[in-house]
Amino acid sequence: MTSFQAELGAEEGIAEELAASQREISIAEFFEKNKHMLGFDSGARGLVTAVKEAVDNALDATEEAGIRPDIYVEITEVGDYYRVVVEDNGPGITKDQVPKIFGKLLYGSRFHAREQNRGQQGIGISAAVLYSQLTSGKPAKITSRTKEADQAEYFELIIDTDTNEPEIQDAEPTTWDRTHGTRIELEMEANMRARQQLHQYIKNTAVVNPHARIELREPGLDEPLKFERGTEELPAETSEIRPHPHGVELGTLIKMVAATDSYSVSGFLQEEFTRVGQKTADKVCDAFRDRHFGRELAWPTPATGIDVSGAVTEAVSNKGADATDRFAGEIESKLRGRDRTAHSQLREIIDDIADEIEDDTGRTFGSTVREHALDAAWSELTAFESDESTNGEGQARDHLTPGLYGLVDDATSTRKDDETVEALAERLARRADGLDDPAFRVTRDELESMVRGAAEATIEYDDVTLGDTAQENITDALWSTARTVPDEVPKISAIEGDRDTASELLEAMRATDILSPPTDCLSPITADLVEAGLRKEYDADFFAAATRDAEVHGGDPFIVEAGIAYGGELGGDGKIDLLRYANRVPLVYQQGACGSTDVVKNIGWRNYGLDQPGGSGLPNGPAVVMVHVASTNVPFTSESKDAIANIPEIEDEVELAIREAARELKSYLNKRRSLEKRQEKQSVLSQILPEMADKVAEVTDRERPDIDPAMGRIMNNLCIEREIDGDTVTLSVENYSDRAETPDITEIVSAEPDAVEADDASVVDLGDEWYIQWSPSVSAGGETALTYTVGSDTEFDITVDDVETEKLTLNA
Amino acid sequence: MSTKLNEERAREQLLDLAAEFYDQFESGQIPEMTLPTRTKSNIEYDPDSGVWVYGDRTSTRSANSVRGARKLLKAVYTIEFLAEQLEEDRSSTLRELYYLSESWDNEEAQFSDQDESNQLIEDLEIVSEVTREDFHMRPEESGATLMGPLELREQTRRGEREIHCQKDVGEGGYQIPNNPDTIEFLDADIDFVLCVETGGMRDRLIENGFDEQYNCLVVHLKGQPARATRRITKRLHDELDLPVLVFCDGDPWSYRIYGSVAYGSIKSAHLSEYLATPAARYVGIQPTDIVEYDLPTDPLADSDINALESELTDPRFQTDYWEEQIELQLDIEKKAEQQSLAANGLDFVTETYLPDRLGDMGVL
Repeated sequence: MTSFQAELGAEEGIAEELAASQREISIAEFFEKNKHMLGFDSGARGLVTAVKEAVDNALDATEEAGIRPDIYVEITEVGDYYRVVVEDNGPGITKDQVPKIFGKLLYGSRFHAREQNRGQQGIGISAAVLYSQLTSGKPAKITSRTKEADQAEYFELIIDTDTNEPEIQDAEPTTWDRTHGTRIELEMEANMRARQQLHQYIKNTAVVNPHARIELREPGLDEPLKFERGTEELPAETSEIRPHPHGVELGTLIKMVAATDSYSVSGFLQEEFTRVGQKTADKVCDAFRDRHFGRELAWPTPATGIDVSGAVTEAVSNKGADATDRFAGEIESKLRGRDRTAHSQLREIIDDIADEIEDDTGRTFGSTVREHALDAAWSELTAFESDESTNGEGQARDHLTPGLYGLVDDATSTRKDDETVEALAERLARRADGLDDPAFRVTRDELESMVRGAAEATIEYDDVTLGDTAQENITDALWSTARTVPDEVPKISAIEGDRDTASELLEAMRATDILSPPTDCLSPITADLVEAGLRKEYDADFFAAATRDAEVHGGDPFIVEAGIAYGGELGGDGKIDLLRYANRVPLVYQQGACGSTDVVKNIGWRNYGLDQPGGSGLPNGPAVVMVHVASTNVPFTSESKDAIANIPEIEDEVELAIREAARELKSYLNKRRSLEKRQEKQSVLSQILPEMADKVAEVTDRERPDIDPAMGRIMNNLCIEREIDGDTVTLSVENYSDRAETPDITEIVSAEPDAVEADDASVVDLGDEWYIQWSPSVSAGGETALTYTVGSDTEFDITVDDVETEKLTLNA
Repeated sequence: MSTKLNEERAREQLLDLAAEFYDQFESGQIPEMTLPTRTKSNIEYDPDSGVWVYGDRTSTRSANSVRGARKLLKAVYTIEFLAEQLEEDRSSTLRELYYLSESWDNEEAQFSDQDESNQLIEDLEIVSEVTREDFHMRPEESGATLMGPLELREQTRRGEREIHCQKDVGEGGYQIPNNPDTIEFLDADIDFVLCVETGGMRDRLIENGFDEQYNCLVVHLKGQPARATRRITKRLHDELDLPVLVFCDGDPWSYRIYGSVAYGSIKSAHLSEYLATPAARYVGIQPTDIVEYDLPTDPLADSDINALESELTDPRFQTDYWEEQIELQLDIEKKAEQQSLAANGLDFVTETYLPDRLGDMGVL
């Protein structure tokens, strides 16, 4: 390899030469290199992505203003190019905002906000503008009219690719038939090969936005594709939340630290994060102290071989015998009354006692005295003398080993013999003594390596086993008896310039239990509207939907919803259709890479009555499965936002939501199958039994017997079924026998019924319940329908009399 | 015993059954037919008759289900057929019934296989308490034979015949008719009845003159014995008071042959009283013989072992004798055929084995 260093002297200006070839990459170049990431990798896809970005923006804008969206999408061929027009009835935008919104990459209100929104990065629409500009050379044409304005404004906008700055080329007032709203017109090199995906995107958008009216015109359509509103209700407004302590990365934290006005960590936490009050902030600060300063190991007071009071007395001078005795005595008795004491705790104790005696006696116990007493008492408490230090005279004192013995013994398994525990405790004591810090301050890591060292030595010299678990248990035991230090946590200013300290703070935040973030920043579609959306766009026999409670992933709350449509006009051959959504935006590409697809594939659909070859993979059948993940930060696999990443927390919720809806599907399918069986049975039996009766009559030489009662008994002949369509409840009474039936039907409903049809119906008001009674006469083979209307969320309870239970099939 | 009367009764019983269905229809009931459950777990020993009969568990064929309705429809069609057959004094085989159903106008009434028609005939036997023979239904082939000093009179379709089963017959012996109740025993000079499983052994006994030498009636079982064979064996025992002995191969399937002769079979336990000979005893080949005579053997196949183990749980084989023999056989894992006795010479069976065994059993 060539060494530049060696040649530096010989050839001048290498650095300059290299620097000359380095230049700023223009935004256009960046775009060109990364367009696949942004969803513009081909002309076909670019068109879909441009529509998608514009429609997402339009929906966000109208919803934010509390307006029911009315969106118009038009694609026309213009020579070699395609023109995309997207119009909305939003609040409109002012001239100042136009360049920022449409023209600047990475501009957006949403990147920093914790709020559920369709767009998140602010790349989308400006990327579409740039793509159009790069492929056709034409500016983006924007028309906008705010509510108050008499006139609409027209702008032509280009992006200066050298500076990433938008430029308004042309601005003039214009007339527009909408009273307010925004229209964007982009011309681009494209093709319609992705027509199917385009339609899919529009249709799927209509499914999850039943409050929106959407119209699509494109060259391949004879008639415009119109999706009408399914509900007048707008989605719940979302509120923005501050970040959650569990959801920030180190880089973000450092930026936040730099930007905050707070001086203290506690203030910073309470100010900048959600769900952090004084108590939680204190907890985080303690955890931060543990990480920053370490903890102080605490020691028990030995029963014998210790003379705290003597040592203190010796260390104190000129305080008078009484006061000195009292001082020393109280320190000793206080210590003896405690389980374990750490250095800082002893300091507090001595301070308390000294203050009290000062108050009582008037003598001053200055800081020097207190410090001496502390040193004397502490060295007595934690005496650890090597054999050499006593010069063979008297017993070497060791108060540390006994203090550790109990902990080690409890933390290791009972099979460890006494000698091993003793040896390990002694080795730990020697290492603690060797910390060279009278207060025995250690961080968790230091403590771990201390224990590891002692354990390894014990394993080596005493030939015993001490596994990782045992070592961990010992570390845990020591750590939990150790005390958090009272030192002040570093100030924000100290953290700002210190990456390591910031990282300690982040760890402390993550280690502290903190309430999940509030969920009013999310706006789920809700199960009812999921179902309404599916009902609106799919002509199926059965619909089910489920909305889960909010959960948290990495500090971002999320809600998962699922819906299923089955049967009817849905195609029965081949795989089911899977509709994926993130924050109400349909995901039409990269289905295979999506976490929600994996979940659907791993569910055993046979349990729910769908055919699933091999027991895994997408099931077969006439069904649509819909999954919606709403979050302040949906984790996508890439910038083009096509697939949700495989996050276990989210996948679990997706699975639960789908299973919830699938359970309803299962009971529906079971019911349907039993009805089918019943019909099959009926058709076979109504052939066999008459033949049998004929034969029996022939053999016994009698008249043909009347088999209808028997047949009726077999078939449970009277069927009553409930159908609910909006507010209208229909009870259909079908009499399969050839005998007239007059059942007495009593329906108890929890809300007042209206428009009760049928001649002999009567309604009885019982205060909080209403009884509706009919006794329809149903002729043989005939049927009748009993209808009435009642509000949603009504509970029903039906009883049928005057019909033998054997002859009744109640499906209500 | 007049067979004419039996047939009349059979016809009446069948028509009664049809009338019962009729009445069920008339009264608005779901037509049904209740039968004892025909499995190993539902047979029990009847101490009065000394045979195994069905227990209390029943199953119902009801028109409430499509399956049940089809069965009943077939039953009614079969009843009609049988009633007509009896009226015309004709008979048919079980297989003929199966094929005949193809000619019925109603496809739903046709049998899908012969097991189904066989089972239906058994059902009708049980419900009407009439035997198949009285329905004039017979199996395809019986071909089982008798040989020995017995004189009898047979009521044939072509008149009465008096036959001596040793003197009036060829080497093949007297062929047992499908309905042995048409036979009347006239004279007998018999000491015991020996039922033999295989044709080869039966021929050996006849060739060696065993029947003449010991005044023995040799009954050829031809494997699992037909009802007629079992019926005549029972009548020989009951009417002539003769000891009955069963001589088979030494394997689990042969023990079942003995079981159906002595105790009655599971499928026709409703007829046990009519077919079984509880006093019949097992001569051999016993597993102990395999050991004692050091007979040439084959190893037990898996199916043999399964059959032996199933016999250990069969209520009919729960005696000390059978448990000991079966467990010994499972232990030595060997089985032997009757003809393996020829390893000691062609006359060994008639000169040594049978005289020894019959002596031991107190018959000789």
